[in-house]
Parts: sequence; C-alpha cells; structure tokens
Amino acid sequence: MSKVTTMKKAIAQHVHSGDFLYIGGYICRPAFSAIHEIVRQGIKDLTITRSNAADDFDLLIGAGCVTRFVSTFLSLGFYGLGRCFRRAIEQGIPHKLELEEYTNLSLPMMLMAGAMGMPFVPVKDLVGSDLLEVKSFLGDQKYKIIDSPFDGRKTVLVPALNPDVGIIHVQQADPEGNAQIWGIGGDCKYGANASKKVIVSCERVVSREVVGKDPSRTIVPSFKVVAVVEEPFGAHPGYVPGFYDVDFGFGFEYQQASQTEEGFQQFLKEWVFDQKDRTSYLQHFIDRFGYRRYAQLMADFDYSYPVSYEY
Amino acid sequence: MKVKPRYIKPELMACCGAREIHDHDVVIVGTGFPTMAANIAKHTHAPHCVLMQESGVFDARPRRPALSISDPCLNPGAAMIGGLVDVMGMFLQGGWVDVGFLSGSQVDKFGNINTTAIGDYHRPKSRLPGSGGANPIGSLAKRTLIIALHDTRRLAEKVDFITTPGYISGPGCRETWGLPPDTGPAVIVTNKAVLRFDPQTKEAYLATFHPGHTVEEIVENTPWKLKVADDIHQTVPPTDEELEVLHQVLDPNGLIAVYEKRGYV
Repeated sequence: MSKVTTMKKAIAQHVHSGDFLYIGGYICRPAFSAIHEIVRQGIKDLTITRSNAADDFDLLIGAGCVTRFVSTFLSLGFYGLGRCFRRAIEQGIPHKLELEEYTNLSLPMMLMAGAMGMPFVPVKDLVGSDLLEVKSFLGDQKYKIIDSPFDGRKTVLVPALNPDVGIIHVQQADPEGNAQIWGIGGDCKYGANASKKVIVSCERVVSREVVGKDPSRTIVPSFKVVAVVEEPFGAHPGYVPGFYDVDFGFGFEYQQASQTEEGFQQFLKEWVFDQKDRTSYLQHFIDRFGYRRYAQLMADFDYSYPVSYEY
Repeated sequence: MKVKPRYIKPELMACCGAREIHDHDVVIVGTGFPTMAANIAKHTHAPHCVLMQESGVFDARPRRPALSISDPCLNPGAAMIGGLVDVMGMFLQGGWVDVGFLSGSQVDKFGNINTTAIGDYHRPKSRLPGSGGANPIGSLAKRTLIIALHDTRRLAEKVDFITTPGYISGPGCRETWGLPPDTGPAVIVTNKAVLRFDPQTKEAYLATFHPGHTVEEIVENTPWKLKVADDIHQTVPPTDEELEVLHQVLDPNGLIAVYEKRGYV
C-alpha cells in the first residue's frame, strides 16, 4: 500500500499539539520542510528531542511550537549561539522552554533503548558533572544511580525514550516507507525506530525494486512508517549527501534575522507563512537568490562502485 | 608597511595541540582547532594517528577544512560512516579513544569545562549550547586536550557549571565517581600559554609561555594562584615543517585566522 502523501496532510494527520517528537538530522539531512509545515499549522506545546540541534530546532522554538526539549546541545555552528534558543531560556520569549539536558552519548543510547524496547540503559558519562544536579520535567526519572548487580560498581541508568512521532528526511524511500540513507547518520536510525510512528520525508520516492538493489542502506522498515513525502530540497539550508551542499549564505541570513524578535518574525513570514509548501519555498528561493545560486548548491556526482548481493 | 608575520597565534595553538598527539593515537575531534591540530600531527610526527567525529565519521578525507562535525566534506572518502551510537557508544564508551579535543567557554583550575551557562543555571546571564559530545569525551577519552582563551573571565577558580568533568574538585574525584582510571585533562592550550596538571594536586600549572608573553602577565591573567613549573620556558614556535603543512596542505586559504577575531591573539 502506498503511503505517499503531501507534507500538509502528513503533518495534519499524524502530528498533534502536545506530542513528543523526534526530528532527525544535524546539518546533514535536517527535516526542514516538515518543521516549516509544523510551524505553518500552528502546532503547539510540543516536546522535541535529538542529539545536537541547530537552526531547525532554533526556528521551531522561536516560532513558539515547543514547550519541552530533551536536549544535548543547540547552536548555529559556524554562526554561533542559537538566538531563539537563548531568548527562550534567558527571557522566556516567546514563552518559557523547559530543558532536560543529556549528552551526545546518553541521549542516543536512550533512543537506542527505546528502539529496542528496553526500559533503560546504563551509560558511563554524566557522572561528576552538574548535568546530574539539574532536573527538569523528568524529575527523578531523569536518571538513577545504582550499584551494578553484576560487579557492584556505581552505574548510571537513563530512561528509554519513545517519541509519539519520528520525523526524518532521507535520500530515498519506496512508497511503503522503506527509508534509505547514506552519509553521516547522527542518531537518525535509533530516533526513528524508537518512535511509535514515523513520517519519512525524502529527496525522491523510488520503487521497491531500487531499494532491493542495496537493502543495507535501509534504516527504517515500512511497517513503522505512516507517511512518505517526496520533498526535493527538503533539508535546505542543511545538506543531503549526493544531492546538495549546505547553504552557508542562508545560514548567515538566518543568524542575522534571528538576532531580533522582529527580524525572526519577518524571516518566518517570508520563508514559512508566505509559502504554502516546499515547491513554493523553492520557487521563492530561486526568485530571491537566482537559479545560479540554486544550481551551485547542487552536488557533484562521484558514484560509489556498485556492490552485488547475488549468491 | 605591515610585514606578514611568520605565523599567527591560532596556528601556534594548533601546533601546541598537535604536539600532544602520539603516533597511533585514536583521536576524536570537534571542528576548528582540534581538527587542524590533529591533522598537523598526522602530517608530521604522528602519521598513524586516526581521527573520528562524533556524528559518526571515521578517518574522513576532507578536501577543505570541515566547519562542523557534520560537514558535507567529511562524507566522501571516509573509511566508515555510522552514527552517534557507533562513535560515542562503540568507540568512545567502548574505551578505544586515546585523545579527546575540547574547547570551553569557561575552564577552571581542575580542567572542568563549562559550555552550558554563564551565571546561575536557572537564570543564566548567557545560555551556551550545552554538552553535545563534550561531557562523554572529557569523561571517557584517555587524555583530554583543552583549548581556551586566557583571561580572568574564561579561566576560573571554579566554573559556574561543570558540563564536562576534568578532575572535578581535586585528586581522587574522578575515581570516586567511577570514571575510567588514568583518564582526564592533559593540557590547557591558551592564547598565552600551555598549562599542565600537577599529578599530585591535579591543579593546572604554567608549563610554557608563548613567545611575546611573560610569566608575570600570565599569572596576572589567571584567576587562581597559578603555580609555575621549575623548568618554565618559552613555547617552541611552529617549526618550518608544521607551518608548511598548515599553509600548503591543511589551510591554504587561512581560515584559521577567524580565531583571531574571536580573541585568540
């Protein structure tokens, strides 16, 4: 059964105010078009998670969609601190943001535990740091320290996470949702598989036969997927290996715009609210910056050698 | 007319970092200084060291300097690409990483690093990005190398928030918390000096001063009573070999100069 649909329908049907979302991608394959649609539909009171967050989560926070964030890190990378993130925490603008803070070891492991149906997972980091001293909405459920039943050593346990919806942007998927990636993975595979249902946004929908030619690339199986959306350029201004480069110029525009609340609202109007979907976003990008700049972002091709799965 | 200097301060700092890396080390790097330093080592005295990025990349072969740990240039040519669970779980937590390279907005005398918040955590003067990979790297890599700005604001007697544990509050603390034995900060490379840690007290002391700086100036700009090594001497300036690698191979466009604007002068 084909699950191919539009982003508008996928978000309207499967993402609701108050949900807990995993949204994949850090610079590599961020699910930007899904995030813009969530903002457009005015979905609020979300809990969001991912290890390493960037401009995508900063925008979602600035747009007032997020109440809680199970986090490790948020910055604009080369362009410094996330302005909306800072405003939310330092000044409560647009509203208060509750943070439950982990690390890039513990959080991916919590997603892995969720994906594997384990209730919790031991991790070797966090100890001796003030991250154990601060607890937010998870309260005493943030972590436990026990004496290991095996060797008696002090062991930190962190809880499994099972988001309501996982949203990822991938290179290609078939109509039923078998999703394939290549290149830097972050916590995408475990984040998606920990989620109760998955929305797959992709650069291209391919046939089941194409997926079967290189099945080792599949990170999410069709039975977990509720919607497949073909969104070329869907990760912009992030990048997709083999499709397009990261857009540093746009990253600078976002940093400049998000310096002030007014600038950020203007940015949201221009790039989110005034666009009805990803196609009009892309059209606006080309109108605004020229086809040449769009073409310059497109990736070169240097194909890997085919491998054979035959026996 | 201004004469172009033989090297700039960030280049000297990158070389100081490089010299801490041994041949055959497994190194986990962030972007900027750490990558530059590790690559200088690889192209000079440590050709067999291998680099990885927490995002999931092992032995990348970037054709330009990477601007983030998820930079597109890290993909083509790498020996392995997985995700965070592979690098931070299997490799780092698995105990395979020799060197971790971190920078800190605030670093204290025990090598604890704050990248979470300046001021009170609940009402921060300035909210910083958070741990990301720093906490597990500082916890689990055998040697942690720290890059920091040298003034009484960036260095501290005690950080406002321990995002990443160094020696915490002194000797024995890491062991009490159950961190792996024989791990911890090895060095703080600043824009004025190289600080090392006293094996007994676990407190950072002045090991070498960079050309153009004096012991008095450095002591004055350090907010704890900085002890000075008996064999205190000047940091060895970048060698011709190190500079050639930097200028010809790693950073022909001089991107590292961006750190001068960030105060590394």
